Amino acid sequence: MPTNEVIHGLGLDDYKFGFVTDSEPVFRARPGLDADIVRQIAARKDEPEWMLKRRLRALAIYESKPMPKWGGDLSELEETLAQTYFYSKPHEQMERSWEDVPENIKLTFERLGIPEAERKILAGVGAQYDSEMVYHSLKEEWEAKGVIFDSIEDGLRNHPELFRRHFGTVIPAADNKFAALNSAVWSGGSFVYIPPGVHLETPLQAYFRVNQERLGQFERTLIIADEGSRAHYIEGCTAPVYSTDSFHSGVIEIVVNPRAYFRYTTIQNWSNNMYNLVTQRALVHEGAHMEWLDGNLGSKLTMKYPSCYLMGEGAHGEILSIAYAGDGQHQDTGGKVIHVAPRTTSSIVSKSISKGTGRASYRGLCKVYDGAERARSNVECDALLINETSRTDTFPYIEIDERSATVGHEATVSKVGDEQLFYLMSRGLDEAEAMALIVRGFIEPIAKELPLEYAVELNRLIELEMEGSVG
Amino acid sequence: MSGGIAVGGGAGVAEVGEVAAVGRGGDPAWLRARRDEAWELYEATPFPSTRSEEWRYTDVERLLPLGDLEKRPIGSKWSGELPERLRRVLASDGEGAGRVVEMDGRVVSARLDPGVATAGVVLSSLADAACSSDPVVRELLATQAVTASDGKFPALNAALWSDGVFVHVPRGVKVELPIRLSRWVSRPHTPTFTRVLIVAEERSRIAFEDEILSPDFESATLASTAIEIFARRGARVRYVSLQRMGRRGCHLASQRTIAERDSSVDTLNIALGGSVDRVDLNARLVGQGASSEMLGLYFGEDGQHFDFNTSQDHVAPHAHSDLLYKGALDGRARGIFRGIIRVHEGAQRTDAYQTNRNLLLSDHAVATSLPNLEIEADDVRCSHGATVGQLDSEALFYLMSRGLERGQAERLVVRGFLGEVLSRLGRSVVADKVMRTIEAKLVR
Repeated sequence: MPTNEVIHGLGLDDYKFGFVTDSEPVFRARPGLDADIVRQIAARKDEPEWMLKRRLRALAIYESKPMPKWGGDLSELEETLAQTYFYSKPHEQMERSWEDVPENIKLTFERLGIPEAERKILAGVGAQYDSEMVYHSLKEEWEAKGVIFDSIEDGLRNHPELFRRHFGTVIPAADNKFAALNSAVWSGGSFVYIPPGVHLETPLQAYFRVNQERLGQFERTLIIADEGSRAHYIEGCTAPVYSTDSFHSGVIEIVVNPRAYFRYTTIQNWSNNMYNLVTQRALVHEGAHMEWLDGNLGSKLTMKYPSCYLMGEGAHGEILSIAYAGDGQHQDTGGKVIHVAPRTTSSIVSKSISKGTGRASYRGLCKVYDGAERARSNVECDALLINETSRTDTFPYIEIDERSATVGHEATVSKVGDEQLFYLMSRGLDEAEAMALIVRGFIEPIAKELPLEYAVELNRLIELEMEGSVG
Repeated sequence: MSGGIAVGGGAGVAEVGEVAAVGRGGDPAWLRARRDEAWELYEATPFPSTRSEEWRYTDVERLLPLGDLEKRPIGSKWSGELPERLRRVLASDGEGAGRVVEMDGRVVSARLDPGVATAGVVLSSLADAACSSDPVVRELLATQAVTASDGKFPALNAALWSDGVFVHVPRGVKVELPIRLSRWVSRPHTPTFTRVLIVAEERSRIAFEDEILSPDFESATLASTAIEIFARRGARVRYVSLQRMGRRGCHLASQRTIAERDSSVDTLNIALGGSVDRVDLNARLVGQGASSEMLGLYFGEDGQHFDFNTSQDHVAPHAHSDLLYKGALDGRARGIFRGIIRVHEGAQRTDAYQTNRNLLLSDHAVATSLPNLEIEADDVRCSHGATVGQLDSEALFYLMSRGLERGQAERLVVRGFLGEVLSRLGRSVVADKVMRTIEAKLVR
């Protein structure tokens, strides 16, 4: 058993980006939520009437649904929500080029550790600062290909028909309490459209930050990958540490049309006072391929189960999930695959690490409907426990209505073995290095999927969390 | 109260006691108080709905038309001939250390091998043992294992139980052959409530086989059983439940095993008959070095509904549990497995496994599997696995290439699949009975 000093030395718990930049919001609603706040949000955004109606309907649904009793401890959330500002608009207007980005926001990126040169390479960065897109540039070649990568507000303004056809179709407001909340007060997020047959070599990236104390962030993203297209979207979150609980509840809707390929990567590193309750879902049509790569390192409580609805014949869904639960953290994460059409395939691979008093729970669903002939699904969960006080759970749901389906689920739980540590230390590594190596080896199957060359800072996040080489 | 059993139309527990104690001149005061308390809990407990996690896939109100059941359990004792089918089973069961026959919730005979009786082993009607205020029964009956606070049905059983079996094995006594309980349920829409209490003292050994049978019914009938097993230090207990009821028979079983230091409690639940079978099994490992092997086997056809809800509670360190439930589902059958391994704080060096495998033999069968883990210690080895699939086409092809017809080949593969569970049991009468029943189902 490694000593506590050694574990502490790994720095797994230290929040690396606990800085605060001053920003003065131009408009900030009062804390709490009612129909007036929703009307104010819609009026500020100058939205069409149908969207306001939707928001108000969603608010009614939100109010009618009880707080979930499963998953993490939400007992203090009501209090948090009463203190939450549901909308604020930062000073800055939408920016097109790097030079125009205000200094304090540049500083934020600076602190995230993205060198100037790499920022240039990071093509088409849409950065979410507070609740709205303030910096947004898109490479010319992509524009030439007809790719739309806008803030969600611009998506609604500039592409009303496309937007309305898909918005809320993947995740209706009535899906769950927090989807309803998001549908009522959403603000910020991305709107992405990839035209038929277009292949994007460089990933689309958006950085999300919540920067104002008690500021709720209700990001909403809608992505449509049209027939035969191919793209990768990366969302990474870091947030400064604050004293009071904060709340984040996003909704991500993705439509993957026939034979398209889409990958959505999230690395979530909210500070340890954040409630992170996110609904992510993709509709995957005939022969299409959807991958969720979901990393949860931060937050106080995360409840997030990216899902693939395999609607068309031969559709494929993949969920790679990694969770790190340090002291006081609860990561309640996993994935859902729903097989509706014949010959659909899916896989879920989940790895979790619990340290200190951290708790990592895998919660997942594999459902095969009658008629989804020859559907195949495989789920693998591995949990690593570091301390005596660490906790892990596995809650898979497997519901099979189709005889020709083949479904498997496997989970293992283990601790870092004394033998493993001893072996590495006998090879000259000190205890901290040995520990870090074992943890890295454990998550490697998922870490290697991260696009190293394009997401330098995302990888740095993982490395820092796992190695603690920088305090 | 929706759909619940209103005993005596709500006349109260006084009548409950009367009904249960018919022909015995009433319960002793402590038992009456225990029933009263259980009845109060029953009334205070909401009816299980599919909104609760534990009953999510079994809609009791729809599957069990409890409203149609007679408003009171059977009071009178069976008289006359035993049914032909039961007599055949009794004749073919062969040698055992003891035999109990229970008819419609009443023990009609309890016979123990004289040699075993001399060693001090007690085998008796539970009602008789309770009425004579046996100190072990008084201490352990519905107080520590299956208690009224466990849920709606355990509460109902604790209030209304009419009879059952009490087995007490003294220190160091090893009973080599199994004790067999054969139950028969004869009346449609009539509930029976029975209990089994097995107490194996230090370093003793006992095997208990519990079979429940009934004819086909035109309307539903309910057999509720509560099984309580205590294994003291170093004791070894094996419990087998074999459910072969007829059509429209409903079986609700609540089982809890408590394994103390270095003891072992192994269970096997087999569901083949009836329309609805729900088994709640909780294995508690409360002493270091305790172990539990938990096996299950089910074969469903037509509209049969089997629901197994198991839990492995590792309270003490250095304990071991290994669960394997396998089932084949044909017709419109539905199989549900919900299992959880709980490693409590401080239960270091736990070794716990859980596997559920399902074979779907028809287009309309449904399998649901929920293997859960909750782990609050770090130095553990735990794993679980669940699979749902169809017959291995390569195995079928191989067998057919050897000249077997498809039907034969399929039967062979299913036998092999389910045989894995039986093979863990070793050679036994139960294994033969199960294989014969499955064979008959497969030929149909």
